[in-house]
Amino acid sequence: MAIVVKLDDLLHAKRMTLTDLSDRIGITLANLSILKTGKAKAIRFSTLEAICTELDCQPGDLLAFEADS
Amino acid sequence: MPSDHSTLLGFTRGLLWLMLALVAAAFLFVVASGGALVAIWPDIAVEAKNSQVFVDAETMRPQLFALLGILAAILAAAVYVLRQLQALVASAATDPFIPANAGRLRRIGWALVIVQLLALPLGWVAGHIAVSTSKFANMGGLDLNSILAILLVFVLAAVFERGAAMRAELEGTV
Repeated sequence: MAIVVKLDDLLHAKRMTLTDLSDRIGITLANLSILKTGKAKAIRFSTLEAICTELDCQPGDLLAFEADS
Repeated sequence: MPSDHSTLLGFTRGLLWLMLALVAAAFLFVVASGGALVAIWPDIAVEAKNSQVFVDAETMRPQLFALLGILAAILAAAVYVLRQLQALVASAATDPFIPANAGRLRRIGWALVIVQLLALPLGWVAGHIAVSTSKFANMGGLDLNSILAILLVFVLAAVFERGAAMRAELEGTV
């Protein structure tokens, strides 16, 4: 996948677990796990906003583009 | 799912089983007719001649066998279509927008194409052995309603395919 989700790095930097984030932003652990493992096909602006608010980051910190080749 | 849909689906399920029973009865009739053509052909030929429906009652036995064969094939296709419809209705109660349903609809479409293609020789044979004014001679042939139904089913299959893709996309949205 060309779009890489760097949620793991952000969580590590904030010393936060996926469960903590799930509790704070009200998005299920299953959905956050899908996002973290790069299995998500799309992300809602509301999800992006909630994660960025909680982790105090920009969308660009969470997502990156890497060419497949 | 709203209760009126459940009622409708339940009614459809019942109707499909009834249609399957009718097709089974028709198949038995075709088999019995084939047996009668073998066992009591002279009696049948006399009755057919007296009915004045057929052009040449004494020599039409091979054509009647052909008609029964085509009818049996059409009934087999009808069973296939009804079974696919039963699977479609069963999934409609839970989640109809799955790739399997698009496949089922496409297979129903092709089965209907086969039925329409079989109806052509059926009409040709019936038209040759029966007098043109009889109902028997109007059996089979090209049917505009059938062609429209085939087109509708293929369009519906494409709609279901798109619906299933959209559902998959939605499920992958976080």
